[in-house]
Amino acid sequence: MSVNGCVTTVQLGSLSQADKSQLHLLPCEIEHDGPAEISRFFTPTVKEQKCEKTVSFRGRGLKGQEVSCPQGYTGLVLKEVQRPSSDQEDRIVKVSSVFQNFVYWNLETLPTSDDGVVKAMAWPSLAEMIHAPVD
Amino acid sequence: MTTKKKRSPHTATDSWVVIAADSALETEKPQNGDPTFVKLKNPATGATSQYLFSSGDERVYEVKAFNEEYRSWFIGQMVQRDGRLLYVTPVDPVFLVLPYLQSGEVEGKFQPLQQVVMDEDYPACTRLLKCKQALESVHHVADEKEVSSQKFHRYNQEKTLEWLKKKVENTVTALKKTDIAVGGAVKSTTYVRVKQESDATEEDYLRYAHGLISEYISEELSKDLHKHLQLPEISSPKVEPPSKKRKLSDKPVEAGEDYTKFNSSDFARKAPKKMTAAQKSLAKVDKSGMKSMSAFFSPKVKQEKN
Amino acid sequence: MDLGVFEADNSVSCRLASAVPEDCKNEDCCLGIDEAGRGPVLDSKTLSEAERENLFEKLDEAKSFVGWALQILSPNTISTSMLQRAKYNLNALSHDAAIGLVQFALDSGVQLKEVFVDTVGPAEKYEEKLSKRFSGIKVTVRPKADSLFPIVSAASICAKVARDRVVKDWKFAEDLGEVDTEYGSGYPNDPKTKSWMLKYLDPVFGYPQFVRFSWSTAQTLMDSKAVTEDGEKAAARQNNTSMLSYFGRNKPAGQTQTRETHRFFTERRLQTVDTL
Repeated sequence: MSVNGCVTTVQLGSLSQADKSQLHLLPCEIEHDGPAEISRFFTPTVKEQKCEKTVSFRGRGLKGQEVSCPQGYTGLVLKEVQRPSSDQEDRIVKVSSVFQNFVYWNLETLPTSDDGVVKAMAWPSLAEMIHAPVD
Repeated sequence: MTTKKKRSPHTATDSWVVIAADSALETEKPQNGDPTFVKLKNPATGATSQYLFSSGDERVYEVKAFNEEYRSWFIGQMVQRDGRLLYVTPVDPVFLVLPYLQSGEVEGKFQPLQQVVMDEDYPACTRLLKCKQALESVHHVADEKEVSSQKFHRYNQEKTLEWLKKKVENTVTALKKTDIAVGGAVKSTTYVRVKQESDATEEDYLRYAHGLISEYISEELSKDLHKHLQLPEISSPKVEPPSKKRKLSDKPVEAGEDYTKFNSSDFARKAPKKMTAAQKSLAKVDKSGMKSMSAFFSPKVKQEKN
Repeated sequence: MDLGVFEADNSVSCRLASAVPEDCKNEDCCLGIDEAGRGPVLDSKTLSEAERENLFEKLDEAKSFVGWALQILSPNTISTSMLQRAKYNLNALSHDAAIGLVQFALDSGVQLKEVFVDTVGPAEKYEEKLSKRFSGIKVTVRPKADSLFPIVSAASICAKVARDRVVKDWKFAEDLGEVDTEYGSGYPNDPKTKSWMLKYLDPVFGYPQFVRFSWSTAQTLMDSKAVTEDGEKAAARQNNTSMLSYFGRNKPAGQTQTRETHRFFTERRLQTVDTL
């Protein structure tokens, strides 16, 4: 069978056990996958004034804004249950976290309605219209 | 932060941040199994794209990634290097079936869909025929015949163009309810756009909607649809993509009076050695000797000496 | 000297001041400016911490004709300023703080006639800058002004006392539990400083806000021991967001040449995904 024949199953049963994690989308690439002392270093230093959040990360000033999932949509963090040994294998992922909003951080400037992620949130509702059946 | 270290290569991702339509996660019958991500042929490009079938293949969804370079996630107490945000949104299965109908057409013959919608490169495509919307809407793009309760289909270009036209019209209606800027020429996205141009014409909307629908059909069909919509050709349609417009050099301006070099490990202050920015740059190059040009020009954080 | 206002939020800058003596509003005055905290904490050549506290007390006793004002630049302010995209170096920060303090004295009604400043950067240039900014005031900027002019010596005492206290009573905004206060002198080769810097280096976050990230020692340790964080390129990215689509990590194969993606998607950094 071709590589394109492989499927990735989402174990929905895991949804009920998924935790509700706080997500932050940072304006830099961190070359690391794994645990970090986020609740010790990051969360306590976030400051909030109205809708504007500020924090420093590695000596750089970040400004952030909360972004919500569109209506009828849910945020999920999917995690591979077992790493496949080759790309010819079916994969299984589980839902490890669910979220309804996350904080989007920019370097020094506050995210505005012109920011990519804020604008990208318009996609689901437009997609629903484009792909709705035609009568 | 560091200019010396090379970015380490990405290892295979095993975690994804996704925003998914709630309907994609619904299970009507538990025995139908879980939703699955599959690879299907992208109807516009012919390339492989990622899709998702809901439980029992009731509905099909496409996957798009919000992907800005240099982004990573904090998820609870974890770092995820891959800063993409995946959107799982519904896709009309007819778009995905259409290329098979078109290419499978032989001498105007009616054929069972199961015979047409098959692809050894993309075996999951047969599952499209289980989607409710595919079965209910395929008559918009094909003639239908029923012989002893078995259905046969034949691609119909006129019907297809009419169907696509309705798609465009529905998209125009949807666009008008949003503040998506559809008007005029492409502006660089680095400039803040006025919320909604009041001067956006009906043609602007039509053109924009045509462009969106064209993301789901072949280039040829897109051109046919353009004609069908009676959209005038643009004389100079090639607008330089915004991505290539501006290339800023963000080489930092060397401060003329950088003091950080003295007052170092000593509290007693030494008289500042006068050095111009140019001299300083030169001094740096001399020291680095064989340092590559790119390293020299890459923005370097001015550090406090100590 | 009550540092409560700064301690309430030690991530930002803050100004503290004594009451303005009536004499200073009615008679001609001079002002001295010095900074502390740029270098290491300890210095054997100058006064001990206790001696400075003692002198500050004397200063306080003279409050009928001596007032003081402090501009505290938090390490976080310095880090974020120096590492920001429009680079703001330590000298410029220091100059601006000095200008702010002179203006503050004027705004408080002090009859300012003369200002003496310990230089930051070339003295003549700095003197010219300040003279231009405050035309009615005679400005004298000198290296080692703290040993030349008593008023600058007094300023130096104020600044150092404040610095000593801020360091000693630093309240970590981070949730680090009991923090080892054996910071040492601040010299990178001081064993105490060294071991503290190694102990509190986090592979992802680097250091608490107590440490200036712009400090070369901190940078070097992070470079060698912490995970890479591509902030530099993030800065470039922010300067020129339109270059983004250029760098796309998952460029869908086959789509690049044949069809141009609709601007709805490119403007939103949305791409089709070929593989999870």
